[in-house]
Amino acid sequence: MLRGVDRAAFAVSFANRLRGAGVPAGLTEIDDLIRALAAVPLDSAAALYWSARVALVRRESDLAAFDRIFEAVFADAPPLPLPLTRAAAGPAARRDDVHVPVPAAADQAVPGGGLPWATLPPAVAGADDGDESGLRLPQLRPSDVAALAARPFEELDPRETALLGAALAGELARWPTRRTRRHVPHSGGRRIALRPTIARARRTAWEPVVVVRERPLRRPRRVVLLADVSESMRAQATAYLHLMRAFATVTEAEVFAFSTGLTRLTRVLAHRSAGEAIAQASAAVTDRFGGTRIATTIAALLRSHHGNAVRGALVVIASDGWDSDPPEALAAAMARLARRAHAVLWLNPRAGAPGFTPTVAAMAAALPYCTALLPAATFADLSVAARSLTDALR
Amino acid sequence: MNDPQEVGRRLDAVDYLVDDGLAMAIFLALRLGKPLLLEGEPGVGKTAAAKALALALDTPLIRLQCYDGLTAGEALYEWNYQRQLLAIRLAEARHERLGDDDLFTAEFLQERPILKAVRHAGPRPPVLLIDEIDRADDEFEALLFEFLGEAAVTVPELGTFTAVRPPVVVLTSNRSRDLHDALRRRCLYHWIEFPAPERAAEIVRRAVPGATRPLIASATEFIGRVRTLDLDKAPGLAETIDWVSALAALGATELAPAAALHTIGTIAKTPDDRLVVAGAVHQEIA
Repeated sequence: MLRGVDRAAFAVSFANRLRGAGVPAGLTEIDDLIRALAAVPLDSAAALYWSARVALVRRESDLAAFDRIFEAVFADAPPLPLPLTRAAAGPAARRDDVHVPVPAAADQAVPGGGLPWATLPPAVAGADDGDESGLRLPQLRPSDVAALAARPFEELDPRETALLGAALAGELARWPTRRTRRHVPHSGGRRIALRPTIARARRTAWEPVVVVRERPLRRPRRVVLLADVSESMRAQATAYLHLMRAFATVTEAEVFAFSTGLTRLTRVLAHRSAGEAIAQASAAVTDRFGGTRIATTIAALLRSHHGNAVRGALVVIASDGWDSDPPEALAAAMARLARRAHAVLWLNPRAGAPGFTPTVAAMAAALPYCTALLPAATFADLSVAARSLTDALR
Repeated sequence: MNDPQEVGRRLDAVDYLVDDGLAMAIFLALRLGKPLLLEGEPGVGKTAAAKALALALDTPLIRLQCYDGLTAGEALYEWNYQRQLLAIRLAEARHERLGDDDLFTAEFLQERPILKAVRHAGPRPPVLLIDEIDRADDEFEALLFEFLGEAAVTVPELGTFTAVRPPVVVLTSNRSRDLHDALRRRCLYHWIEFPAPERAAEIVRRAVPGATRPLIASATEFIGRVRTLDLDKAPGLAETIDWVSALAALGATELAPAAALHTIGTIAKTPDDRLVVAGAVHQEIA
């Protein structure tokens, strides 16, 4: 079927297209495909499909993209034998340019005033660039941050929010831990570590003079954060995205945004640049500023394979508790969640207001299953919440 | 095995049915000598695939069940410290001198599953099943890299053991944790889909030879409908097989509501699911 075709060129260009669609097909995968094409008797399109899929795709979430690209490349190909070199190697041969790879970052304007060389991006991302002096240091002292932190989210501009988000990540450095089954050498440990003990005995004519001890390793407890991004939480949404990012970078975290459905943001929020991560996360949430279905969302989380991530974790729900699902449904979902999790914390932006009582039906239903209900209207609140997490739940 | 169809036939002969995709994945894993990472819903036959493969290839199955805190001492090899200490005492009593070479020899080495697979001496390479790799922690994944890439295990005191015939390695994962890209890169990957009702019926028929055809057909069809309902844990193939076995053990030849309700514990595993499935039984089985 692939007689007379340069298999290496075919594999490389096909993998190239996959990479364009976000499937990380690298040199190892290409090598696998070439060897697979040599090993498999390619007597049908199915054989080609399965060998390419097994060789090139490494995770389930990439399968849809692979199918799309495979379809795009081979769907309107003439019947066997396929002249594959032309179909795959010449991107210009296809009319829709969706599946043609575009050089990365071609559309990103490079700052530097049209100079014929590349300049480094500005070192201070937060500084105003409309300034006539060109270069300027950010003029924010710690006391400014403290003053900003006490302001409600809705009064902050994006730059201040970003600044406070970065400060919040610093707050989370100490984190509740859990004991793992892995052991590390430690002088205060109870168990004798035989391997290092024997290794040390070598120095003393095999007499185990120094007994090396070990104790269980403590790891940061996993955290699962569910942040409400529905209409009633519009003012808080960006700040909560920063909280989610702080979690995602500091500890092992699974972060989700929800309003009517659940969106997993763990991957996008782990991006190195805070601004980029928040922008990507905002784009990923399609049902942003819609209604709220907390009970449905929690049930969906527990049912999905991410439900296992909740086991023994700290679950943080950030929502005002205005739910369009019946309160009984929320109580049932929260009961299951509480049974599976180590602790459930509810962050409510309204809980800090004077005279607040959790009388909203959903909030009242959920409260018995929460370890704590914490106010979360300002970054100062979030810092306090982060600290109380660390102290109370060791 | 010369082509994917033969893989399918050989597995069929040991009562494990595969579709084209899994047959191709296993064929390529065997031919390219790479580990195969299988993912899929719980109870779809990931572990069974490795077992059937060992049976079809007529080689031993070496199994490593992963768990949190799994170390080199449990997965690769361990020194027999008790014997080493005894050897030291013995040498003392005889007034002999002991060197490194006397204490760290193959005599004192205890093989764990992975080293066992590497040093396997049989005529055909064994099948090594690394089950539920997502349950182990990141550190353990890093331990596996040398073995997965080169089919070798390095014991610092002795040297590197390289497999003469690399073992067939099957890893399974339930996706409770994201596996590292470095691990994925070293493996071929296949996602096992839940089979269509006719195929599921065929699989159940092989697994429960004592059940009647009408019972199997209606049970798998019922499971297919139940899976579309709003359940905490949708029943997989393993649950279906358990259920049909239970019904067959009760002497049922057809699906009847009473027997179905008695054996509901085999397919509904939470109180909420029990209610939903019981409702479906009342509605659908008349």
